Amino acid sequence: MSSPLLRLEAVSRSYGARHAVDEVSLDLHSGARHAIIGPNGAGKSTLLHLIAGSLRPTGGRIHYAGHDIGRWPAHRRARAGIARTWQHPALARPLTAVQNVLLAVPGQRLTAIRPQPRAVAAAHTALAQVGLTELAERTAAQLAYGDQRRLDIAVALAAQPRLLLLDEPSAGLATSEVTRLAGLIRTLPADIAVLLVDHNLDFVSAVANTVTVLHHGQHITTGTPTEIRDHPDVRRVYLGTDTPTSPTPDSRATTAAVGTPVLRVRNLQAGYTGAPVLTDITLDVPAGQVTAVVGRNGAGKTTLINTIAGLHPAQPGTEILLHGQPLTGYDARRRARAGLGTVPQGRRLFAGLTVEEHLTLPRPHPTRSKTVDTRHVLDLFPALAQRRHHQPHQLSGGEQQMLALARALLAAPDALLLDEPSEGLAPAVVGQLATIITSLAATGTAVLLAEQNLALACQVAHDIAVLDRTRIVRHITTADIREDPAELHDPLTVPTTTPTPS
Amino acid sequence: MTTTLTPTPVPTGTSTRRCGRLPSWGLSAVGALGLAAAGALPWLVNAYVISLAATALVMAVLAMSAQLLVGWAGLAPLGQAAYLVVGAYTAASIATATSLGPLQLLAATAAGAVAAAVTGLLAVRARGTTFLMVTFGLGELVHAAANQWAPGGSEGVHAPPVVALPGLPPMVRPGWVYLYVLACTLVIGVAVAILVRTRFALLLRGIAAHEPRVQAAGHHTGWMLLAAYTLAGGIAGAAGALAIAVTRYVSPADAAMGISALALAAALIGSGSMTGACAGAILLVAARDWASGLLGGHGPTLLGLAFLLLAYLPRHRLAGLTTRFPRRRT
Repeated sequence: MSSPLLRLEAVSRSYGARHAVDEVSLDLHSGARHAIIGPNGAGKSTLLHLIAGSLRPTGGRIHYAGHDIGRWPAHRRARAGIARTWQHPALARPLTAVQNVLLAVPGQRLTAIRPQPRAVAAAHTALAQVGLTELAERTAAQLAYGDQRRLDIAVALAAQPRLLLLDEPSAGLATSEVTRLAGLIRTLPADIAVLLVDHNLDFVSAVANTVTVLHHGQHITTGTPTEIRDHPDVRRVYLGTDTPTSPTPDSRATTAAVGTPVLRVRNLQAGYTGAPVLTDITLDVPAGQVTAVVGRNGAGKTTLINTIAGLHPAQPGTEILLHGQPLTGYDARRRARAGLGTVPQGRRLFAGLTVEEHLTLPRPHPTRSKTVDTRHVLDLFPALAQRRHHQPHQLSGGEQQMLALARALLAAPDALLLDEPSEGLAPAVVGQLATIITSLAATGTAVLLAEQNLALACQVAHDIAVLDRTRIVRHITTADIREDPAELHDPLTVPTTTPTPS
Repeated sequence: MTTTLTPTPVPTGTSTRRCGRLPSWGLSAVGALGLAAAGALPWLVNAYVISLAATALVMAVLAMSAQLLVGWAGLAPLGQAAYLVVGAYTAASIATATSLGPLQLLAATAAGAVAAAVTGLLAVRARGTTFLMVTFGLGELVHAAANQWAPGGSEGVHAPPVVALPGLPPMVRPGWVYLYVLACTLVIGVAVAILVRTRFALLLRGIAAHEPRVQAAGHHTGWMLLAAYTLAGGIAGAAGALAIAVTRYVSPADAAMGISALALAAALIGSGSMTGACAGAILLVAARDWASGLLGGHGPTLLGLAFLLLAYLPRHRLAGLTTRFPRRRT
């Protein structure tokens, strides 16, 4: 067999005493479809950074197409044909989608006044590959989160890579989009090697021929998707099947002391520059209950959360009530003071602050009667206790999510807004998250959950509202879904028309 | 006041890139009117206002230099006056050999670019506030070096009047000097307007928004920023040659931080457009020098109030044309 395109020889990267990647060796041939899975904090993203050149290894060698590229800067590796995406979309937000792609199309002169027609055609091809043709002229900042992720992939494809590194490409995408992405990766030219990190095992099985499992930076095993699923170590560390599953619906039904709605939303309307994104949204979130809002990307889930939190302006006629007190005229700070907690999508942690500093910041406002026991909150997140002096970029995705959740809880909110908390989390961590959300509701907090992960939504929510084309098309109780699982399937997976502009 | 303020002496093309309100003919009509007013200015106002208008044009060129860095590359410079002074001393030095203006302009541009290329090696390693500090430090060093070693020392040097074209008499009357500076500003403006439409400018905006992404697209962002810094230094050097044409005098005090800060403020007021930066520079010079004379020495008060007003009014309403709200990293 020919020599591999990419060869990692005992590559390591340590942060002080902590080994993020510990002597990992890997061979990747042209045309490979290779996936890396592992629990959060296993070093998957770090490994991609080491290959792409945005981090330098502390040990080992990286060979690519016959060169030792360990000391090459990122741009030189990119020129050699290594393209990558980021765990969170890395885009030039003021530029349009097509301009973002044009940044990466190779072979253009720096002095060109207009992009060459060939380059524009290549950019539009890349956009069409990910289904963003109609949004080409929008700025990246205006795109829905899932569309930004797809644009990120289009930018990587436009560079015509020989090696494509994808960091959690399916995170934040709806089921139908994931299927489409899998099709796209399968149909890429056979000489492109793809190395991807993902948590969605169905997606990984559909795309990859080979799967490598990492745990605590160490190589556990490599094999076909089927072998991996049956591997006992993998089941233990990653799928978390040994740990007890989340509480059954029965145990929850007893705890749910359903009172009057804590958070009431009436006739909520919101939009971006005139285009309506949400119309006529009416929701009740009672104490001790979890209400989930599900819907495709661009359906307006994040806009709904942001509008309730006061981060996005609502249009006239909207009523948002917390304990009967109207919040509509309040800004985000006063809403938070009144008892509204938010865990935004992408976590929004403070880059320069340690975990401990994050946790000393929030306190319930003195005017509120509710108090919070810091130790009790931290008991929910044991992983954070060992990371008190780390900064967010040193935390894994799961730990970051836990920190964002803990930060919101320390302000003792009466109503908690969660925007896609499961995004980018390993199945075992999603299980933990479900347990935490359920136990939060059990203590009387009203939880509004915007979620792409239908399984999680069904597991923790009492009520599910389906958002489709700017309005809530259906309210379903979770009990009904258990009887008829197909009921949710249609509005979520089959695009009835083209997606509405967001 | 309106006579000096309304002309936007840079070709209207600069603003078409990001404007969404006016139809294209409206914009070119406004531009043509402004240009006509700017050209007719020497016949409309007195000599004092004319010389102020020429100073405002010099500041407009310096503001374009600052805008290339802050509005495109996302790096706010606080030392652009240093390259203006380098250009001005160069122009004054070669004035002993030739008083031909365009030649002085080219030499000053080259000197500004070379000075920026050398000092830029330090500056482009920094980002955000650190970049501001480094450029401020470089500016102060040039200030000190000019005091120490430049001809004339802290007294500065005088230069003879410049000649616009071979065979013409030296320009002494403010009206002719103003028209010469206006013509040079237009040429520089056209060059800048072309520059910000190139792929290079797009990549600079990409770097400002997300530098690792541009690196991952195979571009050496450090070299690109150095190139942008060098170009900005060249534009500032050209402004120095124009300053010599206007005042026929340069001293180390011209490298003071106040000039750099004025250029940066004009660029920020311009909220991401070159036309806006020029308008901001003209506005600031008018507030500082012209209105101050009318208000009996309350120029700084007016300047301070203008800054506060410009910061708190929505920029798109002020500029009337630009619709972009840049997310700067600084």
